[in-house]
Amino acid sequence: MKIKPSLFLISLFFLSTIYHLPGRQAGLRSNISFAQTFDSASFHIDWGNFNMTSGKKSSANYTMTDTVGQNAPGQYNSAGYVVKSGFQYIYEKSIPFSFAISDLDINFGYLTPNVGSTATNVLTVSTPTSHGYEVIAVANHPLTAIGVNITIPDTLCDSGSCSESTSGLWTNNSTYGFGFNANGSGTTSYFTNSNYFRQFANSSSGENPQICMSENVSVENNSAIITYKVLISPKQPGGTYQNSINFIAIPKY
Amino acid sequence: MPNFNLTLSPSQVEFTLKPSVTIIQAYEVTNNSSQDITLNTEILPWVPVGNNGSVNYLQAATSSDLNFSLANSDLKIGQPFVLKANSKQQLVLKIKTSKEINLSDYYQTFFVYQNQNPLNKNDNFSQATGKIGSHILLSVSNTENISIKAKLESFKIFPKIKDVFFTPITFSGEIKNDSTYFFKTGGKIIITKNDSPVKEITLNNDNVLTNHYRSFSCVDSCKLNTPLWPGKYQVTLKMDENLGIADSSYSFYILPISPLLFILLIVGIIFGIKKIKSSLQVTH
Repeated sequence: MKIKPSLFLISLFFLSTIYHLPGRQAGLRSNISFAQTFDSASFHIDWGNFNMTSGKKSSANYTMTDTVGQNAPGQYNSAGYVVKSGFQYIYEKSIPFSFAISDLDINFGYLTPNVGSTATNVLTVSTPTSHGYEVIAVANHPLTAIGVNITIPDTLCDSGSCSESTSGLWTNNSTYGFGFNANGSGTTSYFTNSNYFRQFANSSSGENPQICMSENVSVENNSAIITYKVLISPKQPGGTYQNSINFIAIPKY
Repeated sequence: MPNFNLTLSPSQVEFTLKPSVTIIQAYEVTNNSSQDITLNTEILPWVPVGNNGSVNYLQAATSSDLNFSLANSDLKIGQPFVLKANSKQQLVLKIKTSKEINLSDYYQTFFVYQNQNPLNKNDNFSQATGKIGSHILLSVSNTENISIKAKLESFKIFPKIKDVFFTPITFSGEIKNDSTYFFKTGGKIIITKNDSPVKEITLNNDNVLTNHYRSFSCVDSCKLNTPLWPGKYQVTLKMDENLGIADSSYSFYILPISPLLFILLIVGIIFGIKKIKSSLQVTH
């Protein structure tokens, strides 16, 4: 009987995969270590360890933790347990929760009808181990002319449907309003790309502050560029328009 | 240019306490910028939203049975203070529960925020301000050993049938808390093939809040990367014993789709070449 080469190759492949067993992982070996004891006729002193010097030293540029002469320092793992033995292992590396805004003054300069004005700043977040974060944004009110109650309306984007919770494409020079974009770490759930904008939630209208940047894992110096955009119509009355935008950083619980 | 750069530590505290007790928690706020900053403090209650640790402040009610104050001699909550450039300030928060407080969980955030600077009247601008918060999870109970009621709401493997190469297998799931107090998820996803271990994924100790649910996350990643040998794989979800959730088993299959397609392609090419050669010989 003549065997076709294709059938032979396929059969060979199946045989090689069916009988393959991944190798077992090497078991953990435990080391036995003893604390030091000192005995006299009247006293018995137990020492947790027998070292010469230990502690945390620091200078202007460096921090050093050390233990000299300690028995059995190190990390010991077994099913269900992790023992971190030795003073070095007391000092867990953990990043503190930090939040930075690069520039607080977002100046749009002189506003010209049908010409978009943009300004940017950068938000940077670090979070401790096993914590994600979210940055929430809220404005106190829409951009409002000082002394008179005239506002630059929030953008509705080119589609006319973006809001404080939904972003939309905003590239058209005849779409007027005020909005923002976030581009960088933790922003893709909220803005598709740098041409997508949304409104700031306004606390004066009772709107819920909205998340503009978030991640579910711990991060170190993750940043996003916030682009603020204003585009006014020729009918917009002249004046100086201002508002305040609050960025709130909280950890994920 | 003015900027905001604060560190608040710790980022979260969790306490179990009895009614009519006072506890103290020290926070350290650091001004990492090269400018002095005027700060203020506030406490806001929140409720959990979604399944990944998000919160909502507007829907939460303040409890009059919880009292927060600062133990610092020169500061009160809501009182502005100046933090010099590149310096730290310890804020000592005192939390007191009343005698009549309901035995349940209370979730709050301790905020440190920037006081707004006066606006420059000649420019069109928005002024940004920063605020950073640290969560406080309080369980008020008469006993230290709080009973919990956890339920595995869902566990998903995606995809359940896949090729030996390309995209990884992703594990996801949700734990529900049907009790009055929060608890932490914890456990392992153990993947085996032919009774031999392939990978053990450790779940993060995420908080599942009272009468809420949380999708679990993994220490490194909830994914099993390719390439994988073809065959049937067993997945066991082993939650921590204290959660009282029984182990559950699932399976997924890896098929040698792309190698087979590759072999078929090679065979096809060989046959094609042979066929072309033979047809050329016939014409000659």
